Amino acid sequence: MDVRGVAMTKRIKGKARTGKNPKSRKTKPLKGSLLFRPGMAPREIVSTLRSLEGVAITSTGMRDAGQSDYKNRHRIFDLSTLAGYYNEMGLFSAECHGGARWHVGIMNRRESPFEEIEILREKMPNVMLQTLIRETNLWGYRPYPKNVIEYVVQRVDIDIWRCFSFLNDVRNMRAVAEVVMKRGRLFEPAISFTQAEWTTNNYYLSVVKDIVDLCGGVDEIILCIKDMAGVGSPERIRSLVDAIKQRYPEMVIQYHRHSTDGLALPAILAAAQAGAKILDAQEDSLTRFYGQPPLLSLHAYLEEAGVRVHLNRSAAEAAVQKVRDWIGHYDWAESPFRGFDHNVTQHRMPGGAFPSSFEQAEKGGFLHLMPYILRVMSLYNKIVKYFDVTPGSQITWVTCSGIVNRYEKEHGRAGVRHLISLLEKFVEENKQDFSSMDKREQEELLQLFRNAPGDFKNLLLGGYGRLPVGWPDEWVYRSAFGEEWKEKIKERKELSPLDSLEDDDLEKHRNTLKETIGREPTEEEYILYLMHPKDTVSYIEFREKYGEAPLVLPTDVWREGLKRPGDRVDFDLWGKPYTIELVSVGDEHEGLIHVVMRVNNRTRVYTVETPRAKRIEIRMAKGPDEIGSPINGNLWRIGNPQRGELHVGDIVHKGEEIANLEAMKMENAITAPFDARIKEICAKLNEAVVEGQLLFVIEKI
Amino acid sequence: MVGEIKKILVANRGVPAVRIMHTCRDRRIPTVAVYSTPDRLAHHVFMADEAVHIGEAPPVESYLNMENMVKTALQTGADAIHPGWGFLAENDRFAQMVMDSGLTWIGPAPESISLMGDKIKAKKIAMRANVPTIPGIEKVKDIREIKRWMDREDIDFPVMIKASAGGGGKGMIKVSSEDELLTAFSQAKSEAKKAFGDDTVLAEKYIERGRHIEVQIVADDYGNIVHLYERECTIQRRNQKIIEEAPSPTLDENLRNEICITAVRLMREIGYRSAGTVEFIFDSNTRKFYFLEVNTRLQVEHGITELITGLDIVSIMIDIAMGRPLPFKQPDIRPNRWALEVRLNAEDPKSFSPSFGTITRLQIPHGPNVRVSSGVNEGDDIPPYYDSLFMLLMTAGANREDAIRVMDRALGRSLRVEGVKTLQPLLLSIIRHPKFRSGEFSTRFIEEHLKELVSAFKDKDSEDEVLKIARYVAEISALGPQEWM
Repeated sequence: MDVRGVAMTKRIKGKARTGKNPKSRKTKPLKGSLLFRPGMAPREIVSTLRSLEGVAITSTGMRDAGQSDYKNRHRIFDLSTLAGYYNEMGLFSAECHGGARWHVGIMNRRESPFEEIEILREKMPNVMLQTLIRETNLWGYRPYPKNVIEYVVQRVDIDIWRCFSFLNDVRNMRAVAEVVMKRGRLFEPAISFTQAEWTTNNYYLSVVKDIVDLCGGVDEIILCIKDMAGVGSPERIRSLVDAIKQRYPEMVIQYHRHSTDGLALPAILAAAQAGAKILDAQEDSLTRFYGQPPLLSLHAYLEEAGVRVHLNRSAAEAAVQKVRDWIGHYDWAESPFRGFDHNVTQHRMPGGAFPSSFEQAEKGGFLHLMPYILRVMSLYNKIVKYFDVTPGSQITWVTCSGIVNRYEKEHGRAGVRHLISLLEKFVEENKQDFSSMDKREQEELLQLFRNAPGDFKNLLLGGYGRLPVGWPDEWVYRSAFGEEWKEKIKERKELSPLDSLEDDDLEKHRNTLKETIGREPTEEEYILYLMHPKDTVSYIEFREKYGEAPLVLPTDVWREGLKRPGDRVDFDLWGKPYTIELVSVGDEHEGLIHVVMRVNNRTRVYTVETPRAKRIEIRMAKGPDEIGSPINGNLWRIGNPQRGELHVGDIVHKGEEIANLEAMKMENAITAPFDARIKEICAKLNEAVVEGQLLFVIEKI
Repeated sequence: MVGEIKKILVANRGVPAVRIMHTCRDRRIPTVAVYSTPDRLAHHVFMADEAVHIGEAPPVESYLNMENMVKTALQTGADAIHPGWGFLAENDRFAQMVMDSGLTWIGPAPESISLMGDKIKAKKIAMRANVPTIPGIEKVKDIREIKRWMDREDIDFPVMIKASAGGGGKGMIKVSSEDELLTAFSQAKSEAKKAFGDDTVLAEKYIERGRHIEVQIVADDYGNIVHLYERECTIQRRNQKIIEEAPSPTLDENLRNEICITAVRLMREIGYRSAGTVEFIFDSNTRKFYFLEVNTRLQVEHGITELITGLDIVSIMIDIAMGRPLPFKQPDIRPNRWALEVRLNAEDPKSFSPSFGTITRLQIPHGPNVRVSSGVNEGDDIPPYYDSLFMLLMTAGANREDAIRVMDRALGRSLRVEGVKTLQPLLLSIIRHPKFRSGEFSTRFIEEHLKELVSAFKDKDSEDEVLKIARYVAEISALGPQEWM
């Protein structure tokens, strides 16, 4: 599937500081040979995996690793330096796409997922590219209608589509599954895993049955167990994989696990021993606390236990080493909450949400409340049962951090402690028996969700699909909706959003974008816009202004610029060499700084506005009672020759000339749009005015 | 007036001033530039051998200030004045004043300027010389007169109201219906007053979907009148030309000869001297042409005639002013290529609203078959007081297709202007438009196709892209890591 505008990115070559050319290295046969390639039919992939001795690896180094410990800030400029090694490593796939990487890409890194695919396809043609997609929520945070899902999924060039539902509502996967399977790409449905009393093997077997029914068997899919918080104890995982393999012996299983509880490696070994065929890992040098386990350690640990790992170890070692070249540029992006956290088994915050939640807490000034919030989360998830993964994790986070912040604001730290003991009593001692709480406690619980976010309320009403083990108790609805709670329960949807949401008007969206950016958008820009409208417009504006800076600048320059006179950055752009060298940065004067640089030997001066720059406020005409200037020009006459100059209070008639502008020796009459009285004259005679500038305020008579 | 010209004062600024100074440099004639206060560092000032401040920004105080102009010429020892185009170029009183001060006027006789400057008299002379003219009515006092004339001669809307003293599209308004008549009439009068100091207007039948064709003439003091063939200037916006070409793609050989001979006949009737242009409107439906006006000056688009003939019209004007006879006869003039010109105005290409400011980047096209006539350098300001034209871009080729291809390269891949908005994207869209390429267009081409025209953009180029990256590096170097990262 080709999309417009890709020719451009093809020519980009960032000056990657590649050491040895990985292509010249001799690969060991068998171990790490290239069994999997883009273009393989799903059935072929599945049968290759079934006959594979040992396990294969999905590297998450290009997506989930960075998302879990570095807020998704790893730039394709750096990640693509690993591509040459990946190309030889004998990976099953590289997860390099999806999840929050889309959104953070356009918002913070200013690079598009389409550019990333294009670059990686060129640099690692042997590697199957994998995405993570949130069923109807795609790569956004809300359910999209069916026609949007089909339009988008059809146009993204990805080999393996790992698809999960935070509700394990398999119905929601249908649209994605159909398009992916029709395209001959590999669909990988995931079951969201957590450890709770209700997430039994039988529960999961019922979810897997739905999946097998949806996908017409087990021959063209891979099943993923998505342990996104890193909470599966080794024996729990062994038992789950085993149960699935007992029921579906031919099913190929991939185990995706985060490291948060510190028990990733034993859990993964247990999964492999029970029959999982693909395991997720990341470069050891990228590993911190919340991502996948370290690749080389995993390799050694499993091999020692007698499980063969299909991997070219020397290429993997080189990739691990390569990361050390650039990982130091990302210290600023690391989560402020460091270290493993076995209590994740209680609060269940997923690895991918860790750094961003802590970032929000830090920005919001409530980092000190984090222990309380995590505790409230661990109680909350027993009241409203779903899986803490996007968008569920955001709903949990916003709801729980909101409640804790409200208590802190109203009653101080004592109030927060009171909240926790109230919830502990309700959940743990009284087993959620609402009637067993006394009247004051009941009243307090009935206020708990009153200010909860709209997404939480939408979740209760079935907006995202069915909850995995039924709707929450009545009091939750009373708490969230007050007196309207009964009507709200009646409105609650049992249908999948795929069946309840009406199609979007795609042409209308395209036209809105076209009008906003003032030109025809590319297909890729349009798809980004369908996911994240506001941020995409800002991304497009950024790229129009700064071009391919996000793709060609090394990360230190991208983040901090050139520091000392004589510092330079070399890069290739579209096959030609360029050098930008700093000559000097001037002092700030009236909000302006002058930067002198040499761009390929030519000296250029850039005037940079600081946040203190003075901006001249020009009032622009807005409503129908405000008359603006149609052009840039000189206001040489206020009034007309017949009646002379006009003043505030004068009556003018529809069509009467009320002012005249001159620009480049041409006259432009401004006429009254209706009979009116002049309320205000907002420009002076002979003033140079700009297009749209407010000239008159008038009052209809 | 016979004798060598030793020093020329160029009574103009921008593109025309620079153009004239180029020829003076070729001929090693020293030049004097004049400049208004905002033009102190303008390009033409440094093209000249010396430069004199002539007044404040408003044109009446500087480039239209006749006394100052003549005084400056005398003080600097210039012995001739070239007026360029615009400003004082078609002011017969100025021409007379120059001559009365003992200076040489490089242009037509004041009598010719005055005669042709009056649209009504010009039309009468044209009729006398058997040149076809558009039906119309002169010295209109009020709109009732226009209505009576339309009844009498069975003329339908649209009609055109024009300043009798006009030119260059100023004081010229098309009226599509009776409702618009009054506003248009007063606007034309007012613009006429402002632009030409005379509010006399005339009304004419409007030729729908007409094409604008003009003939370049040069004439000496000895009755030699030679035409340098025609130019077509049909692509206009708001009655101002923005693309011109020579020869005209509309005419066949017979019509070409007829229109050129007609122009010579008219100029002979006038007794014209120096360079001038006879403008016609060509009705494609009836394949008839009508006289529009005579421009008694060097025209903006003279360069394309120079490209197809190999002549230097400014140089010829100087020779004629020195009393020399034309060095060629009509049969010597043999155009042998196609030339195209686009006008780069500092304007918004969508709204045509003027765009002022500093040109922060200017990359000028080079290479085979390209001629650039620029009034500005990188870093110059475009002040709001004067015409928005800042550069002419001309290309040539063995045929029309070649010339368009070179223009596509020049506009799409070479020319870069930043800091002000320009017509560049619009011009590029026009020359890429199939209707333009096939030669099927009228003076209404832009209004008819505006929607599709403004969507084309210049070609992507790594030179442009690297400057965007450099801007980013500059901003981050000055401001440090940003919130949004």
